[in-house]
Amino acid sequence: MKDERNREKHLVLLRDGRTLIGYLRSIDQFANLVLHQTVERIHVGKKYGDIPRGIFVVRGENVVLLGEIDLEKESDTPLQQVSIEEILEEQRVEQQTKQEAEKLKVQALKERGLSIPRADTLDEY
Amino acid sequence: MFRYESLEDCPLDEDDDAFQALGEEDEDIDQFNDDTFGAGAVDDDWQEAHERLAELEEKPVVAVEQAGNGSTDEMDLLGDHEENLAERLSKMVIDNELEDPAIMKAVQTRPVVQPGGLNSSIWDGPAVLRRIRGPLLAQEMPTVSVLEYALPQRPPQGPEEERDLSERALPRRSTSPVIGSPPVRAVPIGTPPKQMAVPSFNQQILCPKPVHVRAPMQQRYPAPYGERMSPNQLCGVANSSLLGHPFPPSVTPVLSPIQRAQLLGGAQPGRMSPSQFARLSGFVSSPLASMNPKLLQGRVAQMIPQAPGFRAFFGAPPPATPPPAQQHPSCPGPHLQNLRPPSQMFRPDTTHLHPQHRRLLHQRQQQNRNQHRGINGAAGDRGHRSNNQEQLRKDPYANLMLQREKDWVSKIQMMQLQSTDPYLDDFYYQNYFEKLEKLSAAEEIHGDGPKKERTKLITPQVAKLEHAYKPVQFEGSLGKLTVSSVNNPRKMIDAVVTSRSEDDETKEKQVRDKRRKTLVTIEKTYSLLLDVEDYERRYLLSLEEERQALIEERKQKISDMYDNLRGKLPGQERPSDDHFTQIMCIRKGKRMVARILPFLSKEQAADILMATARNLPFLIKKDAQDEVLPCLLNPFSLLLYHLPSMTVTSLLQQLMNLPQSAAAPAPANPHLTAVLQNKFGLSLLYLVLSRGEELQSSDSSTELMQDNQWTELMFMATRELLRIPQATLAKPVSTPANLTSLFSRYVDRQKLNLLETKLQLVQGIR
Repeated sequence: MKDERNREKHLVLLRDGRTLIGYLRSIDQFANLVLHQTVERIHVGKKYGDIPRGIFVVRGENVVLLGEIDLEKESDTPLQQVSIEEILEEQRVEQQTKQEAEKLKVQALKERGLSIPRADTLDEY
Repeated sequence: MFRYESLEDCPLDEDDDAFQALGEEDEDIDQFNDDTFGAGAVDDDWQEAHERLAELEEKPVVAVEQAGNGSTDEMDLLGDHEENLAERLSKMVIDNELEDPAIMKAVQTRPVVQPGGLNSSIWDGPAVLRRIRGPLLAQEMPTVSVLEYALPQRPPQGPEEERDLSERALPRRSTSPVIGSPPVRAVPIGTPPKQMAVPSFNQQILCPKPVHVRAPMQQRYPAPYGERMSPNQLCGVANSSLLGHPFPPSVTPVLSPIQRAQLLGGAQPGRMSPSQFARLSGFVSSPLASMNPKLLQGRVAQMIPQAPGFRAFFGAPPPATPPPAQQHPSCPGPHLQNLRPPSQMFRPDTTHLHPQHRRLLHQRQQQNRNQHRGINGAAGDRGHRSNNQEQLRKDPYANLMLQREKDWVSKIQMMQLQSTDPYLDDFYYQNYFEKLEKLSAAEEIHGDGPKKERTKLITPQVAKLEHAYKPVQFEGSLGKLTVSSVNNPRKMIDAVVTSRSEDDETKEKQVRDKRRKTLVTIEKTYSLLLDVEDYERRYLLSLEEERQALIEERKQKISDMYDNLRGKLPGQERPSDDHFTQIMCIRKGKRMVARILPFLSKEQAADILMATARNLPFLIKKDAQDEVLPCLLNPFSLLLYHLPSMTVTSLLQQLMNLPQSAAAPAPANPHLTAVLQNKFGLSLLYLVLSRGEELQSSDSSTELMQDNQWTELMFMATRELLRIPQATLAKPVSTPANLTSLFSRYVDRQKLNLLETKLQLVQGIR
């Protein structure tokens, strides 16, 4: 956090895997964040898409990491920006393939009499 | 102004006259209406307050005299209502600190007191600010603050006003521990504040307070800084008395509405308004002032870690940076600018700091001093302000977080790093950096010259004292508060442990319980192990007298560990290995045994080794999934080299599990077969054989040879080794070199060759 923070963008990675980029306006000891003019960036492969979200107030426990974006390096990236619709579509496709692979895995394990507890059920404990 | 309509039982002996005068102003206010006076109603409050207070402005100087604390300067100032009230207040505040020589000095050097000094956190626009400042200050003048109402004594008016303002603040949004609080006064985080906040004046407390609670003024002064202060107040504190600057007035007297609200809202039972600290520290009488600066200095000093990464947060920001605050042009800017110069006067108590820390701290102060002098001389003020404005124009939301607040968050983080026993609290970090240092030191020896200093985070080192936590109590109340906190955990449920009777349990349950008991034993033994491993370090750190005690403790713990491992049976032989094998069935147990072995005596360790060998097939079976047994090889091999031949012989026997008297070639020996088919088993066997060979070759007349047993065992071993198909033979961890010579003693050339090939004893044959 610099004094010229108004010109610095920050990138926040959340526990659910979302990537937010915005101007960090406030932070507290729990890492609760206030992000301004936030953009949610979805990455699929080499492409990414930005969804403008406005103001975010993030509860600290959901923050994985927070970093400053080097504005010069920001434009210097091999990633290609695409439209929102496109990236959402790509994401959907990616999720689908993942789910199918997962299903196959679980099926195979079941046949062998093994089972891996799902991550979300573990969370409940 | 506002009267305590429903708190009539307030046994406060304050100046009722003043209070009544104020009370008559407005009787309609529902003092407990959150919407009106709670978190959501700041603006309205100020508006009403403004109107009322504006009337009060007309009151004669007489009323003002009450506010004076005897200083003539003050009186003059206060008497002049046409001047900027804030300015007056500022001056008055300054004068309060005349007793402190440091402050005196500071005052003289400051040419101008900027009017309308503001706490740097301004949440509303400038207009509101001015409006707030005016009426509130006026309010203080004429009347003894209504806040005194709640107080038994009447403290000097100066501090009073500040407190007044603070009482009106919204509830503090969070409480934070004060970093680097002086040890004596430090109160653990999580302690509810001890004191009652003063009942609010125009903004009533959110929850009905037992008014009879007294927050004696006295108590407030020496209140530990460990009590929570909101960021603004903390910075206010730090800035005010610490530097003894006339700055404090600019910082503290006029609070932003939010701050006031915070402070007021902090008026919950048992909680002291944090801003009171700010006020108090700034405006207290000499004894306190002399005490506070020291404390604050110490604290502020501690706030400045020297790791470059933290530079932005601590100490004075680079002078070129405009003070981070949203200001409107007139007043706050210069004030905040003045925030920086304080470091010039900085005389912190850094005795408890890490020496490197202290050094860097002073360096920084030097820098800042020089830089700020430059700035102050020039028209830097204006320049900065305009720069700031420009920034604001570009991005009106910039600098929402003031430097002070950033500092505050960082302080909290630093405070979390405070530790009296870093090895205990932060073991892995310490070890990691030790390793790094060793590496770099080693490199340095070979390298060209001193490498660049790694930037390390210098953590505050404060001695933590134990504090007996006393829960909040109210005088005159019936019963006690049922407050449960980190420091005062309350028992919520009476859970009684009942052990079930054996009859009811099914076999499965028994098995499960047994396993659980084993797990518990492992945990307990592990704790002992960690302690024992730590003794060396403690020994080095301890004094002479304590060392003997340490040694005794260590011995005792080792013995306990052994007992745990083998299953303590009082005054009995240990007939069963059951306990041990149970432990060895669990992966953690095996690893633990490997760690414990170096600490045990030879006999004890040999005993363990025997037990392992005896039950090896069983253990091998149980280890099939974990494959952790090989971790035991190292300690075992170390042990073996200390064992006498007798033991080695019996060990071999155990391994092979052959009857004492060698019978005719028995059918396939399952024990030995299992051993040979397992990596660990085979490796262990090799180790034993190797040791035997060593003993034999080193001294040919050893017992080993004299005892037929060894020879017999060797014969059997070789026979078994020859018999077993190579495919099933395990791959040992390492093949000792002297096996060939060992076997050569017992088998003829042909068989020797066979063995060599099979076991790949000869290098080059793969």
